[in-house]
Amino acid sequence: MTSILEVESLVKEFGDFEAVKGVTFSVEEGEVFGLLGPNGAGKTTTISMLTGILPPTAGTARIGGYDVRTQMAQAKTLNGLVPQDLALYPTLSARANLEFFGRIYGLSGRDLKQRVSDVLRIVSLTERADQPIETFSGGMKRRVNIAAGLVHQPRLLFLDEPTVGVDPQSRNHIFESVLRLNRERGMSIIYTSHYMEEVELLCSRAAIIDEGRIVALDTIKNLIGLLGGGVIHVGVERADPAILEALGALPLVKEAVRMDPPVSPPSIDDAESEARERTPVPSGAVIKIVSERSQGAVVAVIGYLNAHDIALTSLEILEPNLESVFLHLTGKKLRD
Amino acid sequence: MNALHIAAKDLVILFRDKGVVMQLLGLPLIFILVFSGAMQTAVGGSHDTRLPLAVVDEDGGPRAQVLREGVEAAGGVRIELKAGAVAAEALDKGELARALFVPAGFSSDLDAGRQVMLRLVSRPDADVPRTEAMRMVIEGVARDMALEGQILTSLRQMGEMMATVPDAFTMLAVERGPAQAREQFELSRTRPLVTLVTRVPMRAVTVEEQASAAQLAVPSFSVLFVFLTSQATARSIYDEKKVGSFRRVLASPVSKGELLVGKMLPNVAASLIQVIVIFGFGLLVLPLLGQAPLSLGNAPFAVVLVGILIAVCSSSLGILIAALARTENQIGGLSAVILWAMGVLGGSFIPVFFLERFLGPSMRVVPHYWANSAFTDLLVRGAGLSDVMPQMVALLIFTAAFFAVGLWRFDFD
Repeated sequence: MTSILEVESLVKEFGDFEAVKGVTFSVEEGEVFGLLGPNGAGKTTTISMLTGILPPTAGTARIGGYDVRTQMAQAKTLNGLVPQDLALYPTLSARANLEFFGRIYGLSGRDLKQRVSDVLRIVSLTERADQPIETFSGGMKRRVNIAAGLVHQPRLLFLDEPTVGVDPQSRNHIFESVLRLNRERGMSIIYTSHYMEEVELLCSRAAIIDEGRIVALDTIKNLIGLLGGGVIHVGVERADPAILEALGALPLVKEAVRMDPPVSPPSIDDAESEARERTPVPSGAVIKIVSERSQGAVVAVIGYLNAHDIALTSLEILEPNLESVFLHLTGKKLRD
Repeated sequence: MNALHIAAKDLVILFRDKGVVMQLLGLPLIFILVFSGAMQTAVGGSHDTRLPLAVVDEDGGPRAQVLREGVEAAGGVRIELKAGAVAAEALDKGELARALFVPAGFSSDLDAGRQVMLRLVSRPDADVPRTEAMRMVIEGVARDMALEGQILTSLRQMGEMMATVPDAFTMLAVERGPAQAREQFELSRTRPLVTLVTRVPMRAVTVEEQASAAQLAVPSFSVLFVFLTSQATARSIYDEKKVGSFRRVLASPVSKGELLVGKMLPNVAASLIQVIVIFGFGLLVLPLLGQAPLSLGNAPFAVVLVGILIAVCSSSLGILIAALARTENQIGGLSAVILWAMGVLGGSFIPVFFLERFLGPSMRVVPHYWANSAFTDLLVRGAGLSDVMPQMVALLIFTAAFFAVGLWRFDFD
C-alpha cells in the first residue's frame, strides 16, 4: 500500500513551550488512523501543521507526495478538515454553508450543487438543508460540520474530536458516516479522540500521543496486546525489591514493577493545557503487575501478600483496552 | 476569486443581522434628520433656500427700503440687516462672504438726481457665481430706481417749462419729451449706481458659504458612520476566530491575503451602500421633509471618489482593530469609544472650519478630518477634484498605514 501521509519528526514550539516534540507516523491510502491522547497532548497542533493552519517549527510531512513546508497549496487540495469546533456560520442554512466551503475549494455550478446534495444525504440532513443551522440541535450541527469537510471530496480527511458534546444517536450516525466514507469511497481518515472506544471501533491503527510525543503506534490489536492478559495495580504498605521479585515470579504474572509516585505536571500555558488527573495512589506503594490472565494472577498475588503479612491497601484490575494501554504507558488516565 | 466568495458570504451574514443594518443605515439617517433639523431651526426656522445677503443700511430712508425690498422681490436673495462694524468684522473673520453697504444720504441724493454709490463688498474666496448673481440683482433694482428718479425729475422739469411757454410752443414741448426720456436712459447707463468692490480680508481664514444644515450634516455623519462600520470587519473576524471557521478557511486553498481582502470587501460594499443611502436621503428625502436639500457641489465625481476612499480606509481600520483587539469587549466597547472620539475630533459633529479654529492642526491625526475636509471643500465651497487631492492622498496614507500595521500584528491562528 502507498502512504497518503508521511510525517517525520514534526515539531511545533510556541515560544519556550514545545507542544509537539518530533512525531513520526504514516497513514496508508484508505486507512482510518487514530490519534489517541488526552486533551493537551498535541493532537490538534499536529493536525494544524498538517492542514496548513500552523507552520511546523521543524520536521516535515508529505501529503499525497506534497511537502507541507513547500507545497502546502497543493497539499490543501487533498485535505479535508473537520475541526473540533463547530466551524460554521450559524445564520446561514446548511446548504449555504456547504456551498461556501465548496466554492473556496474551487467547486461551482452543477458540480457544486451535486456535491452539496451528496454530502447532505450522507449526513441525513437533506430535509433540513435550507434552514439556518442556528435552529439545529447540537448533533445536527456536528453532522453539518462533518459535511463541510467532505464537500470537495478530499483524499485525506482530518476528523478532530468530531463527537465532542454529541448525543449517542448523533454519535452513532457520525460513526456510520465515517465507516461508509472509508469503505465506499476509499477515503483516508485521521481520527483524533480522547475516547478510546471510538478509536477502537473505527481505526485499524492508532498512535497514542501524550505531552507532544507518540508513546505507542501499532494496530489496535497489538496495542491492546501490550497489556498481555491485563494489568493489576496493587496498593501495598511496602514494596521492596525482594517483594517485587517474588511477585514477578508468581504464576500468570509476567512483570511486577513499582509505580513511581505522581509528579506534578509541568505548567502549560497554551490552549491545549488541561488538568491532568493522575492515578490515585494510596499511602505506601503501588505495584503494577502485567499478567497473562488477570483473574488468576490476582488470586496468586493476594495469596502471596497474605502469606507474607503484607497489608493490601488497594486493588485495581485494568481491562485490556486502549484506556488501560494509555494508563500502562503513561501512568495517566485519558479522561475522567 | 476566493476573496469574492468570502465577501459574498459575509455580506449575506451582515445584512441578515437587523441590528447591524440599523446601525449601518438607520442610525445615520436619524442623526442627520435630528441634527439638520435642529440646525435649521437654530438658524432661522423653516426652510429657506434663498442666498443670504448682509445689508448695512447707513441711510435708513425710504429709497434704501425700496432697494432692499426690490432685491428680495427679485427672488433668490434673503436680506439680513447688520450694523456696519458687525458686518466688517464678520467679513474679516470669514463669517460673511459678502455684504452690501448703502451709504448715508442715499435716499435724498437719489431724489435729487445725484449720483450715489452702493458698495458690494465680497471676499476674494467667496463663491464667484453667487457674488455675480447678487451683483446683477442689485444692479437691476438700483438701475430701475435710478431710472424712475431720473424720469420723474425730467418730467417735473418739462412740466415747469410748459407752464411758462405760450400755446404756440406746445408742439415743441411734445417733441422734446421723447428726447428728454432718451437722455435720461443714457444717463442711467453711463452713471451706474452700484460699484462692486473686492475687499481683501485681514487674515486668510476660509469662508463658509452659509452652508445649509444638510450640507454639513450629511457628509459629516456619512464619515462618522462609515468609520464606525470598521467595527463590523473586526467583529466578523473575531466571530470567525471564535467559532473556528477562520481555521477551517485557512485549511482550505485560500491564501491569507485572499482571506483578509475577503473580510475587507464586505465592509467596503456596506460602507458604499451607507454613503449612497445617506447622500440619497440628503438629496431626495430631506427636501420632502421641509429641510434644505443637499447639493453635490461642482464635482460629483470627486464626491464619489472620496466616498470610495473613506470606505476603503474604514475597512483597513477594521483589519487594524481586529489585529489589536483581543476580546469581544475591546471590539464592541473600546473601539466604539475610540471611533466616536475620532469622529468628534475629526469634525463629524462640529464642522471642521469651526473646530479647526479651536483644535488647530491636531485634528489632522484622524482620517475623519481629511474626509470631512474634502467633503466640505467639494459640497460647500464648490471645489473640484484637484482641490481635494491633498485630502485624498492623506486618506490613502491612512489606509496603507492601517493595513500595514494590521497585517503586521494580525494573528491568523
